[in-house]
Amino acid sequence: MWLWYDWRAAAVVDDQGHLVDVIEWDGHMTEHAVVERLRTVARGALIPEAQALAARFPEAKALVHGEPELPATSYPLPSYEQQQLADQAALRLAVEGVQAAASDPDRRLEHLVRGSDELRAHHLTMEARLIEWVGLFFPMTVATDRQAYVRATAQCATSVEFAETMEVEVPPVLPSEVEWRSIQEWAENTANANARLDRMENALRWLAGEHLPSVSALVGPLLAARLCVEAHGRARLARLPSGTVQILGAEKAFFHHLKTGAPSPKHGHIFMHPWISRSPRWVRGKIARMLAGKISIAAKIDAFEGEPWGEAEVAKVEERVEALREANKQPPSRR
Amino acid sequence: MNAVPGTSVYGESLRRFAGKEHRRWDPTRSKLGAGMLRTNGDPAALLPQAGSTVLYLGAGHGTSVSHLYDHLCGQSNRLNGRLVCVDLAPRCLRDLTAMATQRPGLVPVLGDARQHGAWGVLVPTKVPWLFQDVAQAGQVDIFLAACQRFLAPGGVGLLSLKAASERWTGEGEAALFNAVAQRLAEAGLTVVETIDLTGYEDHHRLFHVRNGGLNHA
Repeated sequence: MWLWYDWRAAAVVDDQGHLVDVIEWDGHMTEHAVVERLRTVARGALIPEAQALAARFPEAKALVHGEPELPATSYPLPSYEQQQLADQAALRLAVEGVQAAASDPDRRLEHLVRGSDELRAHHLTMEARLIEWVGLFFPMTVATDRQAYVRATAQCATSVEFAETMEVEVPPVLPSEVEWRSIQEWAENTANANARLDRMENALRWLAGEHLPSVSALVGPLLAARLCVEAHGRARLARLPSGTVQILGAEKAFFHHLKTGAPSPKHGHIFMHPWISRSPRWVRGKIARMLAGKISIAAKIDAFEGEPWGEAEVAKVEERVEALREANKQPPSRR
Repeated sequence: MNAVPGTSVYGESLRRFAGKEHRRWDPTRSKLGAGMLRTNGDPAALLPQAGSTVLYLGAGHGTSVSHLYDHLCGQSNRLNGRLVCVDLAPRCLRDLTAMATQRPGLVPVLGDARQHGAWGVLVPTKVPWLFQDVAQAGQVDIFLAACQRFLAPGGVGLLSLKAASERWTGEGEAALFNAVAQRLAEAGLTVVETIDLTGYEDHHRLFHVRNGGLNHA
C-alpha cells in the first residue's frame, strides 16, 4: 500500500496499482494557498489531504509524486489551469527564496568590508592628490592635519581667501577662478568620502557585532568582519583550523613558503590587532598562534549561537598575551 | 526569434529579418548553443519539440534558458510550452525570476537538483527533454537519477559534463569522457552522440542521450 500525494491531491494505491481512495483539494485555490502547499511539499511534510488519508490508512507508505517506488497508474494530476496556478506559485516561491538570501549577513558583511576598503583607497588617493595640488600653488602651507587641510580647502570660495585662512602670503601665481573651483570641488568630494567611510564603518561595526558577537568582543568588529569575509562566511570560519585563521590574509607569503621553503608567515589579517602589531617582533608569532586559537573558539560560539563572550573572557585572553610578552622579554639569541 | 521583442537578455545583438526580431545565440555563452553548432547530426535534434514541457537542471543566469524559451514557448507563450528551471544559487535565481516575470511558462525553482522530492511535484508527467549543466562532483549520478525519475521513454537527455568537476583519474580527459559514456549506456540510455565543445567551452563535453527503455513507468 502506498500513499501518493502531490501539492493538491492524495491517493492510496494498492499493489496492483488500483486507486483505493482519493482526496482532492476542494478549497479556494489562491496563489498564496498554493505557495503554502508547495512549501509544505518541499519541506517533506504531508499536505492536509495526505494527512487525512494517512489517518485512514496508517499502513500505507507516504511518497511524494514521482518517487520511483510508486506503482505506475493514473494518478489524479492537476488540470491545465491548476498547473498554471502552480507555476505562478513556484515563481512567487522562487522570488521569496531569492529575497531571503538578503537576510544572509555573510553576504552583507562582504559588501560592507570590500566596499569600505574601496572607499578608503579612493579617499586616500583623492586626499593625496588634493594636498599635492594645493601645495603646488601654496608651497608655504603645511598639511599637518590632513583632514583639516581638506576641510579648509573645501570651505574657501577663492584662492585668496584660502591664503588668508592659512595665514600665508598670497603667492604670485594663483589658479584661475575655474581651476580653484575644481580644486574646491575635489576637496568637497574628499571630505565627503571621509564622512561616508565613517558611516560605512559604523554600519559594519553594528552588523559584525550582531553576527559575530564573540569574535567582535575579542578582536574588535572590523577585524572580526574581515576574518569572516576572508573565510567566506561565519560557518566556514568556525570550521577552519586555527592555523588557517592565523594566516588568513597572508596567502601570498604562505604559498611562497610552501613553494620555496621561505620562512612561513606568522600572521595574516590578525596582525592588525594591537596585541600583535604592538608586540616585539619575536613574540608576535606566539601571540598570533594563541589568539588564532581563541578566535576559532569564539567563531564556533557565534556560528552555533552559544552564549557570546563578554569582558571576562576577553580579559583572560589579554592575561595570556601579557604572560607571553612577559616570558619573552629579550629577543632570542642568534648563534 | 525573440519571445520578448526589444529586450536583450545578456547583451546579445538583436536583428530583424522579415519583420520578426531574432536574437543572436552566442555559442561561447551557452553550452546548448555550442553543442548545436558542433554536432555532426541535425542541430534541431538537440532541441525539444516546441510547446512541450521540459526540465532544465542548473539553469544558471538564464542565458541558454532564454533561447530555449524563445524556441519552446514563443511570444507570450503562444506555443504553450513549460520550462522548469532548477538552480541552487539565489544569485542565479534572481536573474531567472526577473526573466520569468516577462515569460509565462518559465518556472524558476530555487532548489537542489538532487532533491527531487522538493520540487518534483511541479513536473507532473515525464518530460520528453531534459538538460543538465550543474558542474559539480557526481554530475553523472545526478543526471542518471534525474533521467530515471523525469525523462519519458524515448525522451532526449543532454548532459553537459565539465571534466574539472569530476575526480581526476590520471588517465586524461578522453578516458574520463569514455567512462562517462559507458556509465550512461550501462544505465539503459542510448548515447546518440558525444559532442566536443572545445573552442567554445574547453574541457566540456555534451552527451546527447536517448532514453531507451530505462523504465517504462
